[in-house]
This record gives sequence, C-alpha cells and structure tokens, in this order.
Amino acid sequence: MALRELPSVFSRLTVRGSRSTTVAAARNCRRYASSQATSTTPDLAADLQDLESQSSFTASEYPEEKIKAYDPVKRAQGRKRQLPPSRFQYRPPRYYRGPLHPHQPPPASDPSSRVFVPGPFSHTRLEQTYQSTIAPDLMTLTYVHKPPGTETTPKADRLRTWDDSSPYHKGRPKRGPRGPGEVLRIVEKDINWRNIPKIKEVTVHTMIKGATEDSAHLHVGGIMIQAVTGVRPTVHRAKHSVAQFGIRKNTPISLTSTLRGDQAYEFVDKCINLVFPKIKDWSGVKGTTGDGAGNISFGFDREGAILFPEVEVNYDMYPPKMIPGFHVTVKTTATSDRQARLLLTALGVPFYGKLVD
Amino acid sequence: MTASSRGSQAAASLIRIHPRVCSDCINHISRPTQRSYATEAASLKPLDGPQVTRPSNLPPVTSHPGPAEYITKSGILLSRPPLLTRPPTSFEKAFFFYQKRLNERLVMPFSRYFYFKKDTPADTDWKIKARERNWQPARELGGYSPYGPEAWNDELLVGDKLSETSTIMEALVKDGQVRAVEGKDGKAQEAREEEKGKVEKPLGRITEADKTNDQKRLDRKLNRTLYLCVKRENGGWGLPSGALEGRENLHQAAERVLVQTAGVNMNTWIVGHVPVGHHILQPYYVDGKLERPGERTFFMKGRIMAGQANLKGNLFGLSDFKWLTKQELEDHVRPKYFSAIRNMLAER
Repeated sequence: MALRELPSVFSRLTVRGSRSTTVAAARNCRRYASSQATSTTPDLAADLQDLESQSSFTASEYPEEKIKAYDPVKRAQGRKRQLPPSRFQYRPPRYYRGPLHPHQPPPASDPSSRVFVPGPFSHTRLEQTYQSTIAPDLMTLTYVHKPPGTETTPKADRLRTWDDSSPYHKGRPKRGPRGPGEVLRIVEKDINWRNIPKIKEVTVHTMIKGATEDSAHLHVGGIMIQAVTGVRPTVHRAKHSVAQFGIRKNTPISLTSTLRGDQAYEFVDKCINLVFPKIKDWSGVKGTTGDGAGNISFGFDREGAILFPEVEVNYDMYPPKMIPGFHVTVKTTATSDRQARLLLTALGVPFYGKLVD
Repeated sequence: MTASSRGSQAAASLIRIHPRVCSDCINHISRPTQRSYATEAASLKPLDGPQVTRPSNLPPVTSHPGPAEYITKSGILLSRPPLLTRPPTSFEKAFFFYQKRLNERLVMPFSRYFYFKKDTPADTDWKIKARERNWQPARELGGYSPYGPEAWNDELLVGDKLSETSTIMEALVKDGQVRAVEGKDGKAQEAREEEKGKVEKPLGRITEADKTNDQKRLDRKLNRTLYLCVKRENGGWGLPSGALEGRENLHQAAERVLVQTAGVNMNTWIVGHVPVGHHILQPYYVDGKLERPGERTFFMKGRIMAGQANLKGNLFGLSDFKWLTKQELEDHVRPKYFSAIRNMLAER
C-alpha cells in the first residue's frame, strides 16, 4: 500500500515545492474541518499501516516448516551451558527508594512486579448484562427532562461561612452543620449517562462468636470466606471489651474480605442466581436496608452459607458446628438507597417490606 | 374483586376503543404491578437535589385552528436484549489464557487434602483425572506445570488451539464425568464405561434459527439485541407506530399501539415514560394547500420478555414483521429513517 501511494506523495511534494512559501503557510494555517477530513485521509491510512491487521496466532506469512521447527523447550534442553542468571531472573527492588533512585520498580501490571496480580480471566456474565441491558434501561427509566430555558436556582450553601469579623477569618475552611453529631449527608444526584449506578465493590463480613473461646472457629470461618469469595480475609480484633457478649479487648473476633471488579460481579451473580433461589422460606432482602449513601447489605445465615457451591462441593470437610453465616455489603456508585435498590432490583435481587430511602 | 366492580369493568371494556383486548389484559397492560422499575421511576423525583429547577419563559403551547400540520405519533422500539455474552476475540482468548497460566505460577499450590478425604471415591476420581493432566489442578491449561523446571514455557505457540473456547469447554465437560465409584468392598475403584454417566454439554451459541436465518424467530443472534420491525402493505419497513388518541400520553399510546400492532400474546414492558428518539416526516403541500400532514414520531423503549408478535387483525395495515439486529435494520429501512433512529439502537 505504501508503494502504491508513493507517486502521489512525490507529486504532492513537487507541487508544494513549486508554490511560494507564503501560500503554503497560509494554506497550512487555515484549517477547515471539511478540507482536513478529505486531505488527511491518505495520511491516516498511512498511519494505520503500522497496525497489525491480524493476531499473531493466526499469522500466516511465516512458512509452515519454520513455525513447526520452532520448539523453545527443545532449544532450551539442547543448550550446552546455562544462560547467565541475570538475564532471565530479573528481580524488582524490594523497597521503593523514591523517584530519584536509579533502580525503579516496574509498573504493577508488569508480571515481574512484586505487586502483580494476574487477571482478568474471562468476561463477567453479569457485567455484560449490565453493560448491554441494565445500564441503558436505568438511564431511560430515571431520565429527568429539563426543557431548554429552564432556570436553575442555586441552592443555599450547606456549609456555614465565617462572618469576616476577624482578619483571621480569611482563608478559613467553611464550618459544618450546627449541632452535635450533625454530618453532611450525601446529596442524591440525578442519573445521567455519566453516573449510572454500578457495583463498586463488595465486602463480606462475619463476626464469629465462638472465636472468643476457641480460635478454631476463626480458622474455619476464614477458610469458608476464602473459598466463597476467592479473597483471603482480614482478621479484626475487638476494639472494646463487652462483658455481655464475653468479648475481651484485642481478641480476634471477625473477618472481612473485600472484592473488587470482576470478582465483585461474579460474587453478586453467584448470590443472585445460585444461592438466593435455594434458600428455604426466604422472602427477599429487607427493604429497610441501606446506609443512605447507596450501599445495600444483606446476610446469609449458616443454612444460607452452606448453599454456596464452593462450600457444597466439600461440605463434609468443614466441622459442621463451626460454619458461620456472613453479611454482604454491596457498595454501589449510587448516591442514594433508592438508586442502589433500583440497580440491585434490575440485577435480580428481590426486596420485601417497607422500602426506606 | 366484588361482583359489582367486575360488572363495571365489563361495561368499561365495551366502551373502550379496542374491543379485541379483554378487560383483564387491559388492566394488566395499563397498570404494570410487578414492574419495580416503573414504580421506582415514578417515585424518582429529586428530593434533596443540589439545585432547584423551574421552567420559565417557555412559549405557551397552543393548538392551531384548521387542519393540523403535524400528527403526533407514538412509536415503539421493542427489543429483545442479548441473552449471551459477547464471543471473545482471538486476542482476548489468548490474553485470558496467558493470565490463567500466570495465575498458576503465582497462587499457592492446590491443597488436595482440604477438598478430598483420603481413599474416598472423590479422591480416587481426582487422582485419575489429575494423572491425565500432568498432576495439575487446572483443568483447561493443557497440563502446564507452574513450579516445574519448564515453568517459563507459559506462552502458546502459533496455531495452538488450547485457548479456544471450544477446547476449554471440552476439557471442562470431560472433567465433569465420574471416573471412580465405590466398589463392593467399600473401596473406591475406577468406574466402568456404563457407570461413568453422561455429562450434558452446554447448548451451542448458534441455534436452528441462526442456521436457517429465520428472521421472525426470537431465538436467533443470541448475543445481539433484536428489534421488532414491521412492513406496511405496499410500503416500506419501519418500527411500529400509531397516532395519539384523545388525551393519552406517549407511554399509554405506546402500550395501546403495541397491542393493536402485534397482539396480546407478548409479555412486554415499556421502559420509563420518556421517548428515546424521534423521527419527523415533513408535511406535503400542493399549490400551498396541505395535501398530507407531517408526522412527528416519538419512540418509546420497550423490552420483550416472552411471547411472539402476531400481526393478524392489526389496525395499521401491516403485512409482515421481523426481528432484526441494528445492521440488518439498516438494510431494511430507508437511509433517512435509519439516520433518525440509529442513535437509539444498541451497538451490540
């Protein structure tokens, strides 16, 4: 293709050379969208030539015998001497010594990095449904039409300003709401194409009562949470002593694991399609759930927890009295509970009872 | 429901415009009770929004005397969402496969004794299967050993079919087969051919309707969105639409038009109360006299959950229907019409 275009490139060069430089400069300065679109097409095509049109897996320009002859294992075994280890055993620095240090760690996406986490391993089913069906529907459903010419009156500032009675007030940050325990709550935003609610992360949490007497409960719970979520749980210690519950300060008492991205979608998918339908006499997730900021929680008791396929497959390996239930908090990018509930309803979570926003 | 209210409903159905639909169906159509979306949408007014908006200086809408220049119509973009995931590209397949092998290199070794008790059929079963894949726990990675001396050889060579979806599926199906059973003396033993049982393969992504290219069926192109497209007698293809009647709004009209077009044998849901697109047909004048009024069609988004369209006895003179993807729709409708509706059609 490059060869075919060569004459035209030459002709362009000669034409440009014959013109005076001022004309050429003026032509280059004036940039019209239409003229540019037509004039840059061949250049664009030239740029795109560098891209490979095919994956290397289907590459066919190599002769068949050359492809067949390439056997890296045989070549490695046939090598008389070992390769110098420094070439193939690159180690990133153990500590980050600042941006000016000559030995910089590779980026986290590099497999040789110490913090590299492999993945993704597939496309998530639930996320594809979200992208193709749920997100456009939510956007249509919650569209709030503002006719052109609609006046917007700015609302009063939620933070209190200083009255400038003192010169020291200049540059002070504004004050929060008046009263003890008053905090600025999150403001619900209208849904538009840029902030359609989606699942941000999922936290699985379990408080293990038996861990105060016997740490075996904690180990069993930890193994189960890890099997169910695929993330190694973090152990939390009690902050205070509570005599009624028999909890002493600093006793390991609970476990959490946080799932993000594909793992979070996979876990929610598993809950909705595999576990919820199997729970006996279950009316749904309570409508009063939610923290007011778009995070919805629900729980599984022991009977619900053993319905997860990862536990079901080797249920008899767990000490039966020690399997705990757990809480699941689905954190969404929604700014209110009803928007979050709208998202989860669309994903297939049933809610029952009084709905609280 | 009391007898008296039933009587009044029956009477109401007599006065209705479309007598083909029974009163129960009309009730069901006009009052969707199970649609949590729609009820949520109705209640979704901003309570604590950052800004208060109020319309002002809007020109008042008045009706013109004489024949109307434009007819307002409600159209329906009835779609069947994709049922399957998108097929991965060859690059994605290779990438996912490579990431899986990298993961094998980085995770803790498989702890077999956590999953299988010693000398049980499950344990023997695992041993038989694991022997065939070089004692590795991963079933679809072609016996790649992440801790061995050849662990560095984790990349596929040209033409290797290991990362293909069909190869992975076959490996998983083969692994699902029972290979060990409990023998007479209580010990585990290898299963005979008749004891192995059959493992059901997942259904194919290509259906019978895909092969015959039957564009009336809904079980074709399972990973694409399909749109209902109708053909007027001696006219072209287009989306179903109909003029507003009386004081009904776009949403109500869309539900009515859908029933009058494609029958009641469909479980559908009109998403929200606002249109997703519009198409304007200019009025036609002869010597300054209005020959044919123009049309303003506002398209409401709809989803079909079950059922099938049936054009028998439709009120709009339609002769044929098809379920088409975006690209097929482009071939069927006029280019100008398509340019009006293209942006409300999903890419996939």
